[in-house]
Amino acid sequence: MYDHVKEDKQQLDKQVTRRSFLKMMGGLSLAGITIGLTGCSNTTTVAEQAGGDGWLPQQYQARGNWPAQVRGRVPIDPDNPSIVRDDQKCILCGQCMEVCTRVQTVAGHYGLPMADDIICVNCGQCTLWCPTGAITERDETQKVAQAINDPNKHVIVQTAPATRVALGEEFGLPPGTWVVGQQVAALKRLGFDAVFDTNFTADLTIMEEATELIKRVTGEIKAPLPQFTSCSPGWVKFCEYYYPDLLPHMSSCKSPQQMLGAVAKTYYAKVKNIKPESIVSVSIMPCTAKKFEAQRPEMNDSAHYWHNKDLQDVDVVLTTRELARLIKQQNIDLSKLPEENYDPIMGEGTGGAIIFGATGGVMEAAVRSAYFLITKQQPPADLFNLTPVRYLEGVKEAAVEVPGVGTVKVAVCHGLSNARQVLDTVRAGNAPWHFVEFMSCPGGCINGGGQPRSSVPPSDEIRMARINSLYQADAQAPRRASHENSEILAIYEKFLQHPMSELSEELLHTSYTDRGKKINALTS
Amino acid sequence: MSKGVLVDLTKCIGCGSCSVACKMWNALPYSQITQQQGSNLDADTWTVINRAEVKKDNEPVWRFIKYQCLHCDEPACVSACFSKALKKTKEGPVVYDVNLCVGCRYCMLACPFNIPKYEWDKAFPEVRKCQMCANRVYNGDSPACVSVCPAGALTYGDHKTMLAIAREKINGDGDYVKHIFGEKEAGGTSWLYISDIPFEKLGFRTNVTTKPLPEYTESIMGLTPAVGLSWGALLTGMYVYNRRRNEIAKEKEKPGKK
Repeated sequence: MYDHVKEDKQQLDKQVTRRSFLKMMGGLSLAGITIGLTGCSNTTTVAEQAGGDGWLPQQYQARGNWPAQVRGRVPIDPDNPSIVRDDQKCILCGQCMEVCTRVQTVAGHYGLPMADDIICVNCGQCTLWCPTGAITERDETQKVAQAINDPNKHVIVQTAPATRVALGEEFGLPPGTWVVGQQVAALKRLGFDAVFDTNFTADLTIMEEATELIKRVTGEIKAPLPQFTSCSPGWVKFCEYYYPDLLPHMSSCKSPQQMLGAVAKTYYAKVKNIKPESIVSVSIMPCTAKKFEAQRPEMNDSAHYWHNKDLQDVDVVLTTRELARLIKQQNIDLSKLPEENYDPIMGEGTGGAIIFGATGGVMEAAVRSAYFLITKQQPPADLFNLTPVRYLEGVKEAAVEVPGVGTVKVAVCHGLSNARQVLDTVRAGNAPWHFVEFMSCPGGCINGGGQPRSSVPPSDEIRMARINSLYQADAQAPRRASHENSEILAIYEKFLQHPMSELSEELLHTSYTDRGKKINALTS
Repeated sequence: MSKGVLVDLTKCIGCGSCSVACKMWNALPYSQITQQQGSNLDADTWTVINRAEVKKDNEPVWRFIKYQCLHCDEPACVSACFSKALKKTKEGPVVYDVNLCVGCRYCMLACPFNIPKYEWDKAFPEVRKCQMCANRVYNGDSPACVSVCPAGALTYGDHKTMLAIAREKINGDGDYVKHIFGEKEAGGTSWLYISDIPFEKLGFRTNVTTKPLPEYTESIMGLTPAVGLSWGALLTGMYVYNRRRNEIAKEKEKPGKK
């Protein structure tokens, strides 16, 4: 029996044929494939598990919980009327947090847990710092295009002082290039029915605000001094959030945008005999906060005037960048357009209105006209070159001698971190000033959150180019003080009667909202 | 050493940095905008921030709730996974190995928090969920979402330390509710939450058991080898018995052979 088995084995060894060999190899392959498919051949280490194929900026590559100086991003409410963010473009570089925390002192300056609001003053500086363009203005160009295409609508537009020194940058012109005429020409080619100048209502603002200041100084109005300017909606909201106790200092005057909106649907509608409900009021602003301002529920004084609750004084606000987009969509090259003029009734502006776009400009314009309103005399030449309040120093002061009143002390600040210094002084009761100008954005409106991103983050070089352009235009303007504006004289004569008349109070003045409850006190 | 993350819901400002960091680090496509109300996890969104509008002392307040896998200490998904594609690592993360997954989706049914999602639209779908950045944690870094949080809402460290911090916070500040979500839920989780608003108001599943879920099946499933072996032994015995009986019966039918 043993011999038999041995013989069989020898026989088997001889029988490794090609066929059996292939069968064996096929079997082995099948087994291998099975093992591979079930994953048994490929044991993944912990470091190679699912995920982790992407990247994060360098500051987050620290071991463990090591601190990173710049971290995360600002919160933005999906319903924010001014700014939106595309998460897909966000790289968490932290620049928005930097500008919001350190320059504007908004983020990180409220206690946690939060109330029912994502604190934002809508200034839009983050849109200028964001290197990828993830944060932008809320685009409303289509609303405007629709209104223009509607034959039943009378679409009017106003342009802020600061857009005329920045819009050109979107079309390859050097920073600060003066394109006021080309801007009007482009707006007319876009199909607006009338193109007005916010400078007109800047002059109107000065008339009202200077009158209010005089009445505060003389005690005719029981309101505290110093008086705060109220043209910058980011600043106004900042004060409502963080310094609601100082709101009585805020001038009751609306901003020039809202004044133009209110008189467009009343005065202009009457003069031109246009139904106010058919007017679509658009404004071109260097500012994202203006979008918020236009939507404030109380900004509907034309509705009260006409007893038509559907009216809002300003319907759509476009930033300078959105206007550039509209112009480019129509294949219009701004730099090649001829210069055209604003339409009459609300198209004239003085040098004092032009410099509204720069920090210190509102103050300088107000001083010129206040001097006139008090003394009934033309202001001296140095008030037309009030250099102490000009340019980029954070907090600026000046003292102006006015006959009959004495020394009027004024202060100017721009950027909300600088505003805090001034406000804390006022809160402590140590403020020597009569009048303080606040602008939300560093440099003023020329560096507003809606301006072209000509350098990211914004640079003083570009700020100065735009500021110089405004002051140069002021120096060359035929009329340089607001009270000399002939259309302003006309609107008071035909419609408003005099500054702070009953109708002026109704249309041109406003009240503020205490938002202090939205801010929880900072602890630790 | 097991790691954990403490989420202090009172500190969250709702910026959504964490959800973007997750997308970036894990190279996930942007299938939806993060940080919206009522948003939910999906195969490409492993963490979201949800806005809860609630009342506190009769005042309306907003709280922002970060959702992601809680990384249970004894995960139901791991116990349900028969192919060992899901594992609880010793560092804490519950991780997924696509090479082992057979696509049965038992993990999705097992999870008490409805976390694992499936790539329904793919030809070769995977189960997707937060990995707690296992690779970063393995290398000593914090998860991507924790590393980018600008508000200090997320703290990363040893699980025990996180529990101690959480206890210290809720006992020291009367504003917090006396509950650490994740301390006992589902037998304990690597992610812990503290809040000043009761968790059930914020959409948390608070009626989840405090017993580790695998324990429910363990007592039964633990009998499997014994049952299998004894059932096999019984059947074998019956087979042997029957065969032998048949053999004897056959032999009795052929008396002539003798």
